[in-house]
Amino acid sequence: MCAIVDADVAHEVFSSNPSEAGDKFFGWINKGSGRLVAAGKLLEELEAGSPEFRDWGSQAVLSGKMRTLKESEVSARTERIEHERRHRSNDAHILAVAQISGARLLYTNDGDLQKDFRDRKLIDKPPGRIYSTDKKKNPNKEFRPVHRRLLARNDLCRVE
Amino acid sequence: MDRITLKNYRCFHDRQTARLAPLTLLVGENSTGKTSFMALIRVLWDVAYGHRVPDFKKPPYDLGSFDEIVHNRGKGGSRVKVFEAGFDATPRHDMTVEEGNYCFEVTFGENLTAPVITRRRLTCNDAWIEDRVEKTHPRQIRFGTPNGSWRHYTFSDRHVAKDLDYDMIDSFFVLYTHLRSATKNPEDHPDLVPLGDSDLPVEEDMKRIRRIGYLDHFEMPTMGDKPRAYASAPVRSQPLRTYAPSRPTPDPQGDHVPMYLANLYFREQAQWNDLKHALETFGKTSGLFDEISIGPLGKRDSEPFQVQVRKFGGRLKGPRRNLIDMGYGVSQVLPVITELLRRDAPSMFLVQQPEVHLHPSAQAALGSLLCNVASRERQLVIETHSDHLLDRVRMDVRDGAGRLKPEDVSILYFERRDLDVRIHSLRLDEEGNVLGAPDGYRSFFLEETARSLWKRQSAGT
Repeated sequence: MCAIVDADVAHEVFSSNPSEAGDKFFGWINKGSGRLVAAGKLLEELEAGSPEFRDWGSQAVLSGKMRTLKESEVSARTERIEHERRHRSNDAHILAVAQISGARLLYTNDGDLQKDFRDRKLIDKPPGRIYSTDKKKNPNKEFRPVHRRLLARNDLCRVE
Repeated sequence: MDRITLKNYRCFHDRQTARLAPLTLLVGENSTGKTSFMALIRVLWDVAYGHRVPDFKKPPYDLGSFDEIVHNRGKGGSRVKVFEAGFDATPRHDMTVEEGNYCFEVTFGENLTAPVITRRRLTCNDAWIEDRVEKTHPRQIRFGTPNGSWRHYTFSDRHVAKDLDYDMIDSFFVLYTHLRSATKNPEDHPDLVPLGDSDLPVEEDMKRIRRIGYLDHFEMPTMGDKPRAYASAPVRSQPLRTYAPSRPTPDPQGDHVPMYLANLYFREQAQWNDLKHALETFGKTSGLFDEISIGPLGKRDSEPFQVQVRKFGGRLKGPRRNLIDMGYGVSQVLPVITELLRRDAPSMFLVQQPEVHLHPSAQAALGSLLCNVASRERQLVIETHSDHLLDRVRMDVRDGAGRLKPEDVSILYFERRDLDVRIHSLRLDEEGNVLGAPDGYRSFFLEETARSLWKRQSAGT
């Protein structure tokens, strides 16, 4: 199963002081069956959000744990999404990555992006699912049963 | 060879297949069967293309006797009596054989502690021919087409058992000629027996069998020679200060390479210039040397010579140095790159850890060289522990820097699972992503990296 991490939670996953939910998510990729997809602007944002992400990412690519996409393809799809104006967030590039790769699990706390990712006109077959550590609902960013169930699913990705 | 199949061989219990490509990289922890896998490829090559008796002890490999080669689960496990192996191949379009998918399968049994061939089968599209040598039956040839299958004893019953000759590896074409004479006059050959509900074979069946491109006809038109395999040892021979002229018989440790270079230098100037240029190009990109030369110690080519290399220093060319006076990396990699770059390079090149003694930058340069050399005509199977080599291959494929496309690379990951080893065939895509990796692939590297980057309590558990 593959997933996308939004830059706003990069520090929860790729850092020395991760949240409990972020740490489990990282372990799911680093040691488990999870696969990460990142490309173009999102890659740059992740590197900005976590300075060590680049070093880990190069190992993850070599290990088949992280997949990158053709930048030109992501840019073209991003432009198309922006042109269609169906989305609410300012993260068309993340929606583009999901559409191209087939990744259907998104770790983000951005409310608008969560709505976009659940919008079946934007993300479908299968519909997108959100892994979040929202301040109001989960102030301590704990790893909860909902997180466990999401990481146990194996139908949220169309790629190897 | 496009695909290797094996069963009950060494640490490989279940039937498994592994995809081979122009460049195949074998990776995995120590003692996971990578060298055994290479030895099997060499044996299959020798049997299929050279009709040689299988020799699992031929250097650089030594797999021991039958008991050590067949899969063994120790006390409590049932003793396995045979092991199986085979490969698929697709002839190139310019080869004068029937197009299609070829499958060569061998069953190995035991005779006097050594593994011997008890069954060989060659299948091409919908026709097949098989040779069986069994202790309880006369030697027999079987063949089949969509119309049926048949058996033909090549010797009478009195030859059974005591005259079994496991060393007789006829080419399949010779077997075909046996069949041809039998099927022309079936009434004179009562040993020609239809199997199952089949009728006697008709002319069309024999035409199908004849159309099989027997593997000994898989010639390489561009090289004007039969395909040859070369297996390199994991450690190459130490350099000598002076070499005495000798016959350059190929040797796994590369003993023949200095003499091979000297032969070209003295007798094949054009080839020497080409090879020297190619070696120096690699020498420069890897940072190992800028110039290579042969230093004759007399006026005649029958007198001793030295292999010399030079590393330039800015505008100064510097002195020529004897190979033995250079770092160990140069002499260790020279046999490998010479075999890769020579005009008559082997069609199948099996190399164990070509990166030994090389600096990471030279290991990466070697990865690029592999990408430039590998092709369907020069298949490379490389056992490596080098991340630098592996990552360079990945990046060159992604960037289109070498000749290889993603489908031209296969990464075979050997993963130990209790008493067995599983081979995973990994692929690259156009973006250099590694596809098909199991969860445990390179877990050590990921955990070490995470630990080095982030001092965290759980390290991602």
